[in-house]
Parts: sequence; C-alpha cells; structure tokens
Amino acid sequence: MNCAEAEELLGAYALDALPEDEARRVEEHLRSCAEHRATAAELRQTSSLLPLTVEEGDPSPNLRVRIIEAVKATPSHRVDPDTAARRAGATRVVPMRRLARLPNWAARASRFAIAAAIVLALGIGGLIGYQLGHSAQGQVAYTFQGDPTAAPGAEARLVYFKDRKQAVVAISGLPRLGSGQVYEMWLIKNGVPVDKGVSTSANGDLAAQVSGDLSQFQQFAITIEPGEQQLPTTKPILVGNLQAGSA
Amino acid sequence: MAAQLKRGESTAIESLYDRYGRLAYGLAFRILNERGAAEDVVQDAFVSVWRHAAGFDASRGSLRNWLLSIVRNRAIDRLRGSARIRTELELVEAEPRAEVPDVWEAVALDLERKQIQEGFNELPDPQRRTLELAYFGGYTHVEIAGRMEVPLGTVKSRMRIGLEKMRTFLTARGAMG
Repeated sequence: MNCAEAEELLGAYALDALPEDEARRVEEHLRSCAEHRATAAELRQTSSLLPLTVEEGDPSPNLRVRIIEAVKATPSHRVDPDTAARRAGATRVVPMRRLARLPNWAARASRFAIAAAIVLALGIGGLIGYQLGHSAQGQVAYTFQGDPTAAPGAEARLVYFKDRKQAVVAISGLPRLGSGQVYEMWLIKNGVPVDKGVSTSANGDLAAQVSGDLSQFQQFAITIEPGEQQLPTTKPILVGNLQAGSA
Repeated sequence: MAAQLKRGESTAIESLYDRYGRLAYGLAFRILNERGAAEDVVQDAFVSVWRHAAGFDASRGSLRNWLLSIVRNRAIDRLRGSARIRTELELVEAEPRAEVPDVWEAVALDLERKQIQEGFNELPDPQRRTLELAYFGGYTHVEIAGRMEVPLGTVKSRMRIGLEKMRTFLTARGAMG
C-alpha cells in the first residue's frame, strides 16, 4: 500500500472499520511511514474517546457481585514489585516542585502592594497594575470559584505572564487548614496533576507564585493535603479551566 | 488503581467497577440494546482486565480507555457474531502518562465527558452518523457506504474529517493535548 492509499484509509482504520486484510495492509504501511504512524495514533486516540459520548446506564445491582465472584475465581497474572517499579519508572513524569512563594521580582516592587493585594483580595489586578503596567499584552487573567460544597466562597485570581512563564495567584476564602495540613497547588496536563508547591494560611487567604508554561496545561487546582504530595490524595477544593481565560 | 491491579489485588476491580461500571454498561447497552447481553459483556470485560492487568502499560493509554475498548470490541463481536482479530490499544497515545490517583480521575472524567459529548454533537449529521455506525454499529466502511447510499470515498473522508474535527474541538478546549 502506498502513502496516498493509506492516507485515505486512516480514519476508517482508527475507527476499526476496515476489513481485516485491509487493516493489515494499512499496518504494514504504518511500520515504514512515521508521518502516517503519528496521524494514525492521533486519530485512534480521538476514536478512543467515543465511548465517553454515551450516557451511563443502570446495570442490575447483582452485576457487581457477579463480577467480583468471577474475578475471585480467576487467577491474575501478577508482576513482582521490582518489575512493576521499573516499568512505572520508565513512564512516570511527575516532577517534584518546591514550595512556591512570591517571586523576588514581586517582592522587590513593594511589600505594601503585595500585602494589600493579599489581605484585601483585591486581587492581583492591583498588584500587577502597580508593578507591571508596561507589559499588559503578555498577561492572561483568570478568576476561579471554589467547589460549591468543599470551598464555598473561595475565589482564586490568577494572572499569567507569558514572557516569564510565571503566574501569580491570590486566593481568598479557602477552608481553614487542620493541624499539619497544607494547601497544595496543581497544574493539570491531560488529566495528570503536576505539583506546583504548597502553602499555608491562618485565615484562608494566600498569594503565591506558580512557575511553568501555562499554555501546556488545561487546569489549575488546589487540594488540601497532609503535607506536600507528589500527586493529590484528596479531591480538589477548587478547579479552574486555564484554556477559558480572557486576556 | 492500575498498580493495585498489577499486584493482583482484587479490590482494585471493585474500585474500577464503582467508577466505570455504569459507563461500561452504558456503552455495552448502546451497542447491544439488550440488558442481559450488555451485562454479560461488561462482566467479560472486567474479568479480562483482571486477567491481563500485568500486561497493562500506562504509557499506551489509560486504564479506563483500555476497559472501554474491551467492552466495545466484545459487544461488537457479539452483535456481529464474529470475533475479529484486533490489536487493542495498539498505537494509542504516544505521550506517556503518569498514573493518576483514583480520587482525581472521577473529577476529571466528568469535565472530560461533557466536552467530548459537546464535540461529538457539534459534528454535522452525516459525519456523526458515520462515526456512530462504525464505532457503535461495528460496520465497515463498505457496509456504511451501502447503508447510507453514498460513495465509499465519501464515507472514508467523513470518518477522517469527523475525527479530526472532534480532535480540533477538544484541543481548543484543552481536553486533548
């Protein structure tokens, strides 16, 4: 099969809608064509989302029992922990970030301005206007609300500085922390949360810096954790969509 | 959850069922339109995940997508009365994924499903119908051309363009990278 023939069939291939012999010929072509391999992977990834377009159903309650019994009667192929760890190590991409504080460039500007922004939750608008009025074009601002149950009344204002690849976030009205707990911030890429540091606050208000190219992430979130975690162990109390921000 | 499964902890199947059982059943029922058959397929799929958990490779896709692809393929096989040889999860997702904690996925899933449904519903009717016949009906491109009474080339391009439009829609909303 040549490139032009394969090109025509990639959509059908990704949907598993080719007769077997034709699918095999496409696969033969893919082995030698990196470009079509990448396209096929993208199309296949998209088609793998189609099951999520269906509505959830209500199976009979005994299906759960049946499955558990069937599983208990079926041996599983176990992997020894070392092998599992090695395999996991190859694909684990969760960098550990240290505690995020206000950046030096912010601290230099005016401690008073920062404090005012935090305490009055004026936002970041006031803070930024004060120190970065000249670079308004490279900023994107977001406002996120807390989870209506877990953090009603919480609000986060985040301003991203594209040229610095840094953001400043001011959050007010967070639920109070218990002993030993911290607020932990996350950026989420394709459903995978990346630790962006922890912070504490006696009154539920805080401000912090978040480093990273935010255009690479889809969501910002905050959890309450028993100390800094590599991955969240609790439900987020605030989640915001970074792709819906207005400049 | 994937790590628990790999260690052979059967409670992981219970968690997996609690999270995706209703979705898996919804998918099987969408294809088979019959409760008993849909439940059988869901049961087979969960047992299959359990049996083959050691071979699960998170870098090739999520546990959820793996489970759902098994449900889909078993349901289609049952509907069409033949077991086509398939390469489940071959080629899928070039980008490595870290294992995501259980509590997180439930939140992400809800957001993601809404966006995917929206992206699918935005497609022009003929494209959406073509994807449905292929994915939920298990028809080949030639069969779909016959059913829809359009040339084969039209079906091929509707499939390709439909998937690409969905991808563009989801990428623009950050649901896909």
